[in-house]
Amino acid sequence: MGSVYRLTLRQLSGRWRLAIMTVLASLPVIIALIMLHSKNAPSVTEFEDAILSAMLAGSIAPLVVLAIAAAAFANEIEDKTLANLTLSPIPRWQIALPKLLATITIALPFIAVSAFLTSYIAFIGDVRATLAVTLSAIVGVALYSSAFVWLGLVSTQAIGIGLLYIVVWEGFFSGFVSGVRLLSIHWFAIALMHGIDPRRFYGYDDTLLSLVAAITMIVIVFGGFLFLSIRKLRRMDVP
Amino acid sequence: MIASTEPVIRVEGVSRWFGNVVAISDVSFNVSPGITGLLGPNGAGKTTLLRMMTGLAETSTGNVTVFGEPVRDNPSLYRRIGVMSEHETVYEFMKGREFVSMMGRLKGVNDLERAVDRAVALVDLADAQDRRMDTYSRGMRQRMRLAATLVHDPEILILDEPLNGADPRQRVHFKQLLQELASHGRTIVLSSHILEEVEQLADTVLLIVNGKLAASGGFRAIRAALNERPYHVRVMCDSPRQLAAMAVALPSVDAVHIDPDGSVVVLSRNVLDLQIELPRLAQSSGISLRRVEPLDDSLESVFGYLVEQ
Amino acid sequence: MTAMQPEVRAAHGGTVFDIGYQPYTGVREGRNRGRIAVFKDGVRTALAFGRGGREKILPWLFVVALSVLGLVFAIVAGAADRLGGAGTAEKMNLPSHSDFYGIASVILFVFAAVVAPELLCPDRRHGVINLYLVRPVTGADYIASRWAAFLVVILGAAWLPQVILFLGLAGGDPVPMEYFQKHWLDIPRFLLAGLVMAAYATTLAMLVASFTTRRAYASVFLVGLFVITAPFTVGLSQDLGGAAGQWVSMFDLTNIPVHVNDLIFGRASEMSEHAPARTLPAAVLVGWYLAWTLVPATILWWRYRRLTP
Repeated sequence: MGSVYRLTLRQLSGRWRLAIMTVLASLPVIIALIMLHSKNAPSVTEFEDAILSAMLAGSIAPLVVLAIAAAAFANEIEDKTLANLTLSPIPRWQIALPKLLATITIALPFIAVSAFLTSYIAFIGDVRATLAVTLSAIVGVALYSSAFVWLGLVSTQAIGIGLLYIVVWEGFFSGFVSGVRLLSIHWFAIALMHGIDPRRFYGYDDTLLSLVAAITMIVIVFGGFLFLSIRKLRRMDVP
Repeated sequence: MIASTEPVIRVEGVSRWFGNVVAISDVSFNVSPGITGLLGPNGAGKTTLLRMMTGLAETSTGNVTVFGEPVRDNPSLYRRIGVMSEHETVYEFMKGREFVSMMGRLKGVNDLERAVDRAVALVDLADAQDRRMDTYSRGMRQRMRLAATLVHDPEILILDEPLNGADPRQRVHFKQLLQELASHGRTIVLSSHILEEVEQLADTVLLIVNGKLAASGGFRAIRAALNERPYHVRVMCDSPRQLAAMAVALPSVDAVHIDPDGSVVVLSRNVLDLQIELPRLAQSSGISLRRVEPLDDSLESVFGYLVEQ
Repeated sequence: MTAMQPEVRAAHGGTVFDIGYQPYTGVREGRNRGRIAVFKDGVRTALAFGRGGREKILPWLFVVALSVLGLVFAIVAGAADRLGGAGTAEKMNLPSHSDFYGIASVILFVFAAVVAPELLCPDRRHGVINLYLVRPVTGADYIASRWAAFLVVILGAAWLPQVILFLGLAGGDPVPMEYFQKHWLDIPRFLLAGLVMAAYATTLAMLVASFTTRRAYASVFLVGLFVITAPFTVGLSQDLGGAAGQWVSMFDLTNIPVHVNDLIFGRASEMSEHAPARTLPAAVLVGWYLAWTLVPATILWWRYRRLTP
């Protein structure tokens, strides 16, 4: 497992990619700093809507994870190097899991640090609120990674489908159709954040899941996509 | 390792289709220790067949077993199988030795450093092993891939176009390596377009044409089994027309023609008798034979006949 | 292709034609033909012609989504006019031609991000650009043809829904000819605005794609660029206010062509009506658009004109 994990880390950590992720992850922090020193500071709800929900959880995190996670298997399939791994006497879960963990390892620091700093600055050192935001960002990264690693395995159009999911399903439709939030990784993470610190993140509409429901969906989604990845590896024709 | 003649790989009634295209149609054969050559024209289905034999692709019908176990979805078998595909499946950012080490680790090799040293030495790349593989030539990459295939000392080797990009010296070295491995009881299945080399290396040949198994066995035995195709034997002598006129009466001769260069070409379905009758005829007629050579006693001819069918 | 008369051997009463290899002796067309060929191939690649059904899903999904959007606008406006009398849709300020590109801009940009890299990245990745350059086609010809190909495709995707909307609105009016006479100017407006959107999206998408051999990275970077600059600049510009806020708002990349769209129609669309930048002078908005289109186009051309086989 260690070999696959280290291999994937090397495959996914290109210099340009890391530089772009750093730039993207620092944007919410910059905004939080500006807002803190601004005369017209937004309310918690406005800040959550614009920065935490729309920007960090809605755009930056899923895009960063998509670029990394979809490539975890997709690049191997495109380069025809996946057979190097599947022709090894190791169970398929020992290929899928380290791929997923490597993806999370690369994406997580950027998003987690960004979420931590953004919320610490915005909530002026409120530990519970900061923890809520950071934890939900971490969970969001894990969920997106699980889903997009699987997507990279099953489709050559993983990026296009992933972008449609992020921009159209989560970004566009969820604003108009509340039911979409029951099938949205973004909203699972937001629901977790609300559940951990309800006193800070109050006044939201009732279509959010409860903390227990959110945790249940998170476990199902993460485990479900990992299971699907393992199953696909066992059944697919490896190029 | 004790050499055995028991089949190691069994392919039974295997077919594979992609939509409406039948790539492999009801193919059955066994592979025993030694070198087996898999031949066929482009698009015949060789690579598809090899992928099914290694478990990389599923069969639509039929079974493939290795050491008596199904090869599909059976990762533990890969400890005993080494596979080299036709694609350049290397990680360019890795150094050669790193790549072989990683493959050794994935295969569960115990004494990894020694195994890697041995594998790299076998392919004569010890000098280049610490360079990144994106600096390698095509032939070097091919050799390093072979090292990665051999690092865990597998009992079965499945090689798809292994000689691609190899220069003549490397080809000779590679042939010697395969012959040595085969002599130690390894089972080697080798797919190639280079018929001359398969002819020299392989004890057994499997010929795939249009997804079907057209022939299997030693190529001379296959040639002999092609009853409807008489052998062509060129005879050069000092009196071609006289020889031709008399040879046509021999029982072992089916037909005779004279080439523009003056040589006589004898067609015969019974070359064993021809070998006796022709020299006797020449001697009794006072004709001096300068050269007698078979024109289609080669794998290439067999290949050509079977592909034409 | 002009066939050369094959070599013949004539005999009294009969002719034998040599049907072996015949060299091409027809016209060898030049650079223009090469450009057209690259252009046609670009259009085929973008729309996945000549590839399987699965490959066609993504590009055509975007075209269908945009057309459905136009259809929905037409149906809603038609229903409003039917229920409330002619002109109700206009009075209620329902989305119309001027709003379409603002609302559909995200879909258009994602379309460009996902499909445009297909025209450039695979050629670089697989090293086939050299095959183009050994023909009478230069690097500049190649990129110009590819750019034109994608422009045509995205123009089609942008214009089709507007045409559907126009026909829907005209058809929904009690007197269609009167509607056409009153609103015929919308046609050149939406055609021009569509060209503005298409040129911008094509140029930026192709520039980003020219920096990488992996389509995935180009696509994600492009979408990130469009999707992330929007909330970032909106938040910051609202905070800063005044002239600073206006200029920050100019860096909302999704709105740059939408402001020009608003100038063409003479009114702010729904998506840009709250953007501080909309109050800047027309010359500034147009100049900014041209800078964001011509500068990337120049960089793109410069990158490719230096290519040699």
